Amino acid sequence: MRKALLLLLMLAVPATAQRPPPLIGIAALRADFVAKTGTDTVYFGSDTATLGVPARAVLDGQAQWLLAHPDVVVRIEGYADSSDTRDHALAVGAKRAEEVRDYLVLMGVPAEQLVTMSWGKERYGVGRAVTVLVR
Amino acid sequence: MNLRLSTLFALAAFASTPAWAQGTAIVVAIPPMTTPDTGTKGNESLALAWAATQLIETDLRSTSELMPLKPDQKDYYSYPEVTAPTFSKWRSAGAKALVTGFVQQRADGRLTFGCYVYDLDKGRELGRKGFVVTRDDWRRAAHKCSGLAYTAVTGAPAMFDTRIAYVAESGTGDGKVKRIAIMDSDGYSHSYLTAGDTMVLTPRLSPKAARVAYVSFLGGRPNVRIIDVASGQQRPLVPTDAISFAPRFSPDGSRVVFSMMLGPNSDIYAVDANGGLPQRLTTSPGIETDASFSPDGSKIVFESDRSGSQQLYVMDANGSNQRRLTFGGGWYAAPDWSPDGTLIAFTRRGSEGRHIGIIKADGTAEKILTVGPTDEGSSWAVSGRELVFQRTDPTGRNGIYRVSVDGGEPRKIQIPQDGTDPDWSGVMD
Repeated sequence: MRKALLLLLMLAVPATAQRPPPLIGIAALRADFVAKTGTDTVYFGSDTATLGVPARAVLDGQAQWLLAHPDVVVRIEGYADSSDTRDHALAVGAKRAEEVRDYLVLMGVPAEQLVTMSWGKERYGVGRAVTVLVR
Repeated sequence: MNLRLSTLFALAAFASTPAWAQGTAIVVAIPPMTTPDTGTKGNESLALAWAATQLIETDLRSTSELMPLKPDQKDYYSYPEVTAPTFSKWRSAGAKALVTGFVQQRADGRLTFGCYVYDLDKGRELGRKGFVVTRDDWRRAAHKCSGLAYTAVTGAPAMFDTRIAYVAESGTGDGKVKRIAIMDSDGYSHSYLTAGDTMVLTPRLSPKAARVAYVSFLGGRPNVRIIDVASGQQRPLVPTDAISFAPRFSPDGSRVVFSMMLGPNSDIYAVDANGGLPQRLTTSPGIETDASFSPDGSKIVFESDRSGSQQLYVMDANGSNQRRLTFGGGWYAAPDWSPDGTLIAFTRRGSEGRHIGIIKADGTAEKILTVGPTDEGSSWAVSGRELVFQRTDPTGRNGIYRVSVDGGEPRKIQIPQDGTDPDWSGVMD
């Protein structure tokens, strides 16, 4: 009797595992973010942190998406050129991330949804800032 | 690594640097060190003395100022001869100076090293010094002997008993593992201070190499931390989640200057090395970073792009009297003030790449030392005659190199893996 019960339980386990994953997982949200806004990346000119017209157009779309998803927090990662010196690159990357953050705040996104960081020249990604959904 | 060196003899005050110590390399004789010990102990001590003699030769050969004669065991001195060398023999071999000494085992198991340096032309002693060390630290005692000879002949502090910290790299691309590493300046006693699970950058040694300030991405953003080399204990320099980076100790080790970002603005701050409230030293809206103290602690050199491009500036240690130092065209970054206060080393960026250069502390006599095009981040040897820096080779591999301020081809420092961000300490206690 006990043996039969154990067998039943074991059969039950795969059945639960086959359930589809929840649709609002972070991966699905990221996919939706990129699909709706076109890209998660904006580019800067050499050694500047000034947003050009194309960058602002991308961020306008990102702002709309973030306003529609008030529970989502994003991390804005700034990158600098490999020709830069190490510490200046950290500051330039951070400045680019801050510039993106400030623009999104200007477009009405609550500051609580936005976190910034800098990779300086430590990761491949010359002259850009990337908005990454974190939760 | 807890070493205790005690001075046995009063250090004879160095007379002024000998007159012949100018221009080309000075030839130095190194007759094998000896021992007063006898029997089995005597053999042990002699073996150590010979190892120390060879290490002194290696040390002196690594400099551009001294040229050691190869030690020969046939030239072995008896113990009494150490204080009465035969000057004429070495003079005829072309030597201008002579370094020798003895190793003696103590009742407590430690070793006494006695070192003597002579001016062969004048037939007089230039200096003597004694050290008591544990057996494991015989290399450091030999480095101290090398340093005695180097300083007696050149008048400059010696860098043999110093350490170099750097970032050791393994792997490639974004999967690179980076660890803070530390070693003696000749590559021995190599160890890692961080585990490699977190991105780390720019280790900066305290003057006597007891602590390292560095940048860690542990909390998700770059942040300055301080690690105690002997115990491995560490903590954030300032309890903040603001981005902080580019730390450097003051010459007495009591303070740390660093950069911190409040919003998009990077400014320079100073804080007690043991913690406390940071003092803000710059307020311009540009990027200010890479601060470095003058050796007397009264001034700070740093880089700022407030004029539109990275340039070097000097200010008083409290942030007042800021003035621009470089006007040479190109961009100037990552300054490091020389140990004697006369020069500032920097990285110059331009269309032709990055190079290491030096400029007088008054902003004149700029000189580029390396051909680049991917050199950066220089740090002075305590002698003030050499710099260590980072170079990326054409295949993208990073290495650390040393270069003489007189120019010449940089020499690659042998390390177990690739390396970046080297920093050279002052002389250890």
